[in-house]
Amino acid sequence: MSITQILFWFLSALSILSALMMVTSRNPVHSVLWLILVFFAISGHYILMNAQFLAIVNMIVYAGAIMVLFLFVIMLMNMNAETEPQKNKWLKMAGAIGSGTLLLVLVAALRDSELRGRTLEGPEGTIGLVKQLGAVLFTDYVVPFEISSVLFLSAMVGAVLIGKKD
Amino acid sequence: MNSIILSALWGVLMMYTGVVSRSNKAPGIMAALGAALLMGAAWLDLNGVSLAPFDLHGMLEFPPYVSGFILLMSLCLLLYVLLSNDEIDRLTGHSADYLALIFFVMTGVIIVASFKTLLMMFLGVEIMSIPLYILAASDKRNLKSNEAGLKYFLMGSFSTGIMLMGIALLYGSFGTFYTAALNIGFLALSPLTLAGIVLLMVSMAFKVSAAPFHFWTPDVYDGTPSVFTSFMATIVKAAAFFGFLRLFEGAFGKLHEQWQILTAIITAATLLIGNLTAVFQQSVKRMLAYSSIAQAGFMMFALFAMNATARQGLVLYGVSYSLATIGVFAVLAKMKDQTFEGFNGLATHKPFLALMLTVYLLSLAGIPLTAGFFAKYYMLLAALKTGQMLWLVILAVLSAAVGIYYYFRVIQAMYFKEGADQEVETSSGFRATLLVTAVIIVLLGVHPDWVIALVNY
Repeated sequence: MSITQILFWFLSALSILSALMMVTSRNPVHSVLWLILVFFAISGHYILMNAQFLAIVNMIVYAGAIMVLFLFVIMLMNMNAETEPQKNKWLKMAGAIGSGTLLLVLVAALRDSELRGRTLEGPEGTIGLVKQLGAVLFTDYVVPFEISSVLFLSAMVGAVLIGKKD
Repeated sequence: MNSIILSALWGVLMMYTGVVSRSNKAPGIMAALGAALLMGAAWLDLNGVSLAPFDLHGMLEFPPYVSGFILLMSLCLLLYVLLSNDEIDRLTGHSADYLALIFFVMTGVIIVASFKTLLMMFLGVEIMSIPLYILAASDKRNLKSNEAGLKYFLMGSFSTGIMLMGIALLYGSFGTFYTAALNIGFLALSPLTLAGIVLLMVSMAFKVSAAPFHFWTPDVYDGTPSVFTSFMATIVKAAAFFGFLRLFEGAFGKLHEQWQILTAIITAATLLIGNLTAVFQQSVKRMLAYSSIAQAGFMMFALFAMNATARQGLVLYGVSYSLATIGVFAVLAKMKDQTFEGFNGLATHKPFLALMLTVYLLSLAGIPLTAGFFAKYYMLLAALKTGQMLWLVILAVLSAAVGIYYYFRVIQAMYFKEGADQEVETSSGFRATLLVTAVIIVLLGVHPDWVIALVNY
């Protein structure tokens, strides 16, 4: 087993384990911390695939900014195991059945798909480098790139409108 | 492309209007001007004139069918702005910012109508949704409005996540975002593709509030201030349906047989749930929320049938439903008592408003001589032309009959019940716009071929 493979299995196991811990832990703050670990593990996967830009953005935006906000909100709301609302038993069961069915469909779809052995690029590939990404972003994908500015502007205006006193 | 640039820029301009001018008339005038210019821009698109000839890399397209739809939606926007500006101003105190958001939503509407790649569709849907979350929560002192905003935000983000998952699966199996490249028929039929199609259908059905993904609709429509409900239930919904049809026709049209039964089930469930629950509502606003689910059931027929008639019918349906609902909500937003009792005796005290409301409600119910009749007619005709599942058409006719009951309850309250006079302040401009809306509804009821010709060109 090469070092890459060992890293791959380690990161995979780590991300699945932390994802499970995130869902099952009773304390919301712990959940957030586990989630941060999931993001780091996934960033590690991106680095293995030589997608450095994606890895860094994933770490800065998700593990950094969004999760810090999450922690703040959860701490401000003072949620803990005692104040957790009791959910209806039937609701829980319906949720389990619903998401279980979705899991079944997705697993079946991925199992039967012919993606195995179809790799776009090996670990030496340059597709995930910032230079490549920039070139594609400003040539082929310039229309969605520019249009996403409308999305961010409207989100910004909205946040100001909601937050301001009147 | 003209219309996308114009509406995005006009949104920015609206924000400056709020800074520069302190008068509370200016934003309304600017917004109406913007909507009128948007109609002009769409008209230019319709004639193939592009003021900004960019290389779009085939990501957006503006055939007459799409530009015609954008033109009609801009008309609805114009009427909406004229009817609602005073109310937005009264509610928020600074209507310019909210009108700016409405123009941003309009940008999303145009993108959702004209996309050719899944990437643009996602962007369009998001641009359309995010300002709506803000609009839903705009009545900040009102707990119900806060609840509506939060609920819409959480559910909407969740359904966006499902949509992204579907897009990711499709990208994984095709390696492209272009809808035309996805539409290769049975060659494409892999489990991954099917899972992607189902996820996309779920998320789009959520956006158009079709059952069984409709649970957010009554609470959100009821909690949102009436002026904004009227926007999100009409133009946005019609555009979401238009995008829904274009996505499934453009990307999965050749696999229609595979997912037709799914749309049939969604249609039947939407018709039944929407109509039956609307009957039991005490508040007119909540009744309209449920009836908008029922109307979504009729629009779902476009996806079920997916032929030329369905395509034309969906545009006609979107326009007639939008016009009538904008009209009803404009009056409703001015009324203090929004239960059925609140409408008692309106005809004796405010005969003009009552008459206008009657026209709109008749159109929603689908009575001949109004646009709503031909809209329903085209949808059912499209379904009949497929020659399959006659029971669905019968169900639709029966639920239209149920619909007549709850729409006529309002008319009955206005004309045949006694009630005290109530203060409903209306300006002469407001009344004139109501009249124009009603006239358009009746004209389209006599000449639906005008819309059909526009989208056929």
